[in-house]
Amino acid sequence: MPADIEVRGPQVVLAGRGVSKSFLGVPALRDVDFDLRAGEVHALMGENGAGKSTLMKIFSGVYPDYEGEVSVDGRPVRFASVREAQAAGVAIIHQELNLVPELNVAENIFLGREPLIGGLLVNRRKAIAEATALLGRLGIALDPEARINTLRVGEQQLVEIARALSVSARILIMDEPTSALSPAECRRLFSIIRQLADAGVAIIYISHRIEEVMLLADSVTVLRDGSHVVTAPIASFTQESIIAAMVGRASLGTAPAAPDAGGPVVLSVRDLTLDAATRKGWRRMLHGVSFDVRAGEILGIGGLLGSGRTEILETLFGSTTGRRGGEIRIDGAPVSVGSPRDARRLRLALVTEDRKAKGLHLEASISDNVALPSLARLARFGVRSFAGEARIGQRAVDELGVRCTGIAQPAGTLSGGNQQKVVIGKWLATEPRVLLLDEPTRGIDVGAKQEIYDLVFRLAREGLAIVLVSSELPELLLLADRILVMSEGRQQGVLDRAEASEEAIMRLAAPRARGAHAPKAA
Amino acid sequence: MLRLLSQTKLYWGLALIFLIGVLTSPVSSKGNNIFLSYGNLLDVLRQVSITGLIATGMTAVILTAGIDLSVGSLMAICSVVCAMLLTMPGWTPSAVMGVPAFALVAFIVVAALVRFVFHNRAKLRAAADGAAADVALDATRGVVLPAVAGLVAAAAALAFVLPQVSQTFGLWGVLLVVPCVGLMFGAINGIIIVAGRLQPFIVTLAMMVTALGVARLTAGQNNAVIPVYTGSNATADFDVLRSLVFDFFPVPGLFFIAAVAIYGAVLRFTPFGRYVYAIGGNEEAARLSGIDVGRVKIVTYAVSGMLAGIAGLLFVAQYRQGKPDAGSGLELDAIAAVVIGGTSLMGGRGALVGTFCGVLIFGLLSNLLQLHNINSNLQLVLKGLIIVGTVLVQERNLGELLSNLRLSVRRPAPKEPADQWPPSTESPSRQLGGSANGTS
Repeated sequence: MPADIEVRGPQVVLAGRGVSKSFLGVPALRDVDFDLRAGEVHALMGENGAGKSTLMKIFSGVYPDYEGEVSVDGRPVRFASVREAQAAGVAIIHQELNLVPELNVAENIFLGREPLIGGLLVNRRKAIAEATALLGRLGIALDPEARINTLRVGEQQLVEIARALSVSARILIMDEPTSALSPAECRRLFSIIRQLADAGVAIIYISHRIEEVMLLADSVTVLRDGSHVVTAPIASFTQESIIAAMVGRASLGTAPAAPDAGGPVVLSVRDLTLDAATRKGWRRMLHGVSFDVRAGEILGIGGLLGSGRTEILETLFGSTTGRRGGEIRIDGAPVSVGSPRDARRLRLALVTEDRKAKGLHLEASISDNVALPSLARLARFGVRSFAGEARIGQRAVDELGVRCTGIAQPAGTLSGGNQQKVVIGKWLATEPRVLLLDEPTRGIDVGAKQEIYDLVFRLAREGLAIVLVSSELPELLLLADRILVMSEGRQQGVLDRAEASEEAIMRLAAPRARGAHAPKAA
Repeated sequence: MLRLLSQTKLYWGLALIFLIGVLTSPVSSKGNNIFLSYGNLLDVLRQVSITGLIATGMTAVILTAGIDLSVGSLMAICSVVCAMLLTMPGWTPSAVMGVPAFALVAFIVVAALVRFVFHNRAKLRAAADGAAADVALDATRGVVLPAVAGLVAAAAALAFVLPQVSQTFGLWGVLLVVPCVGLMFGAINGIIIVAGRLQPFIVTLAMMVTALGVARLTAGQNNAVIPVYTGSNATADFDVLRSLVFDFFPVPGLFFIAAVAIYGAVLRFTPFGRYVYAIGGNEEAARLSGIDVGRVKIVTYAVSGMLAGIAGLLFVAQYRQGKPDAGSGLELDAIAAVVIGGTSLMGGRGALVGTFCGVLIFGLLSNLLQLHNINSNLQLVLKGLIIVGTVLVQERNLGELLSNLRLSVRRPAPKEPADQWPPSTESPSRQLGGSANGTS
């Protein structure tokens, strides 16, 4: 290809022209143009499956096989590998962290590029010194000799950023960096991003959190269904107009009329405790949690990451290995839930937070995934009922609106929102009485989120008792009839719809100042 | 079209080996193609059936993302037990192992069967009522009646084998008892892996060593082999296991094909089979779906041991001896056949049909090399090369391979500052298709 790309001014550091890419004949990107200028924070928005990640993977050399042209500093390039992209100054920080937990901060930063003595031995001292300098330059207060697995997720995220910048990246792509961060950690990250942009680094920032983008970005590009919708400075957008561009409709529906929560108590929990086994003996994770959930009611559980929210669900579902205490009653009868099998028999259902690691067999088809917990029930004299499995698979696809080519499509090829629907469908097929939802909309785009909300409301109306864990306060406030707030394994209070607000929840959720648990000042 | 080709590449491999065999085979004095003769092909089937049985059990274990290294030693134990039961009367170590194992297995199998029947009847009734939840059995049907049935079965089993202990065992005696010994050892593998939450590799490695020792101890210090002379020191019936059905089809081959057919159907048509795949695909998701992951795993290891036991029977019939060192290296042949058959060592992907083809590919290949009188050491080298080659074709397509090689050659990372990128001779000449590009 001759260099026929016109140079669009010295400012544009990374450009894509007519970029297209399809997987197995399904187009993921259609003819997308994209310009990134030095020193700007450019937010890339779109629903799951809109093509954001695909575009970023092309820019960063993960997919060498695409149509259209990419240029860096006006020179056409075609990255055949991540390494080539790095050498051209493009670094990407993936949503999933890619650190070696057993190594320390400095070793991770220089992994694969260790400073050497005589070309053979690792120069440990130099690595530490360079890491210290790098962290200092970025204003990150971290010990370069701290092992990664002793750091919190937010701190690990900062290590990823330091690593990306250590290869003198001029173009930094960040894929949902804040999805696991606390508000304080987010603020610290934003100030670092701002600082980088001021120093001339061009940043592509992918996020589903619109407030965040409004706060941080200089300009916004919206993709929808693999096509470019709009690119404009942030000032010309409102939250609503971004959403409208993403979903292609004017506004989101919100909560329907308050669902009737006057049913009988289905799930009753008293003094639930959990002790996790550690090397130093038992460590108490839950200190006596008590609540009731009625049929048709949605109980929200709020709190910071690590406050014991997920542990409540896992203890109820019997999927934790720790020592359990307290009493669980279903329909007034005390039950013991020793394993997920017991839980399923008692018609409890748990939709886990991490759907890839804990929810799906990614290589298997939609119907195989949906039917998994129901196989034994469907089988007749030990023979699988393929018709029955196809039926409940199809029902899940139809009722939940899973967008797919058919129930035979492998679950791993679906977008995040649709994968989540498959996991929910798998549990609805068991006809549960109590539905436990752990971060049901994590990493899901706005449109799919609304569909999940509608679904949760519908299930509550149909008489399910629902327990919902979420980090997103607006989501809790929208969905939950009552909100139980956890902090450090302790139940801090239960808020009614009337008294619940973001401030009220945060007040209860904040850890009691005891030094060790308070977030470090930046 | 290309997809169809790549989905069926296993069969193409089998056909290719077959074709090479036909074309290069030596010709007998009468002008017949030796490779293609019925006698030769059925002989191949006879030769592969021991490895084949073991590979069949191994397939399910590997599908759960496990591995069973102990199968060779388990086959050896079972060959020793079988030979001793056939030739030595009284409470030999083999009888001490075999009789309780048989009674226990009879108890468990019949109890589980009765419970299964009750459970399915209850399910049919519940389905008629339109209820969707799992049915639960009451104590009578769920525990008491199965236990009683199991005890009856165990008593019947003892009544059947105890008289044989004082003399020597008959055909049916060993046919029933020996697989149970293998099954018990396999179940121990599974129980340790599940209860101890240990790596299958290390547990079955330990069992491989232990079982070899047990096999030698059972045989006794002075018995490197225990000869079995059917008709003189053992029952003549036992020769059935090495004979031909209808003077045509070798009995060991029949065992192998039956095992593939039955286990294949179980993996395809039962919930258990689906659980095997689900556990290999995502064990945590399977557990959270309410599947008894531990039980499924234990069963796969137990069946693997049982099939090793049957292989031990066939070994004794074939070579007229029980031998504590019989199974060394067999586990690796079996794993190779499974992997050639396209089953992923990571679990969750593969099928028994593939293993069947893998075993046949292996068998035809050995046969071919023998027909050509190729040096046996050279045969090992060729086999090794063919394993690697076949697996490469199974797992990767050619373009992918080439691009990997290209990348590893280019490994040294450019250390120049980013500004100097790209070197002017590079990228502009690139064409579509990352795998097909030559860069330099």
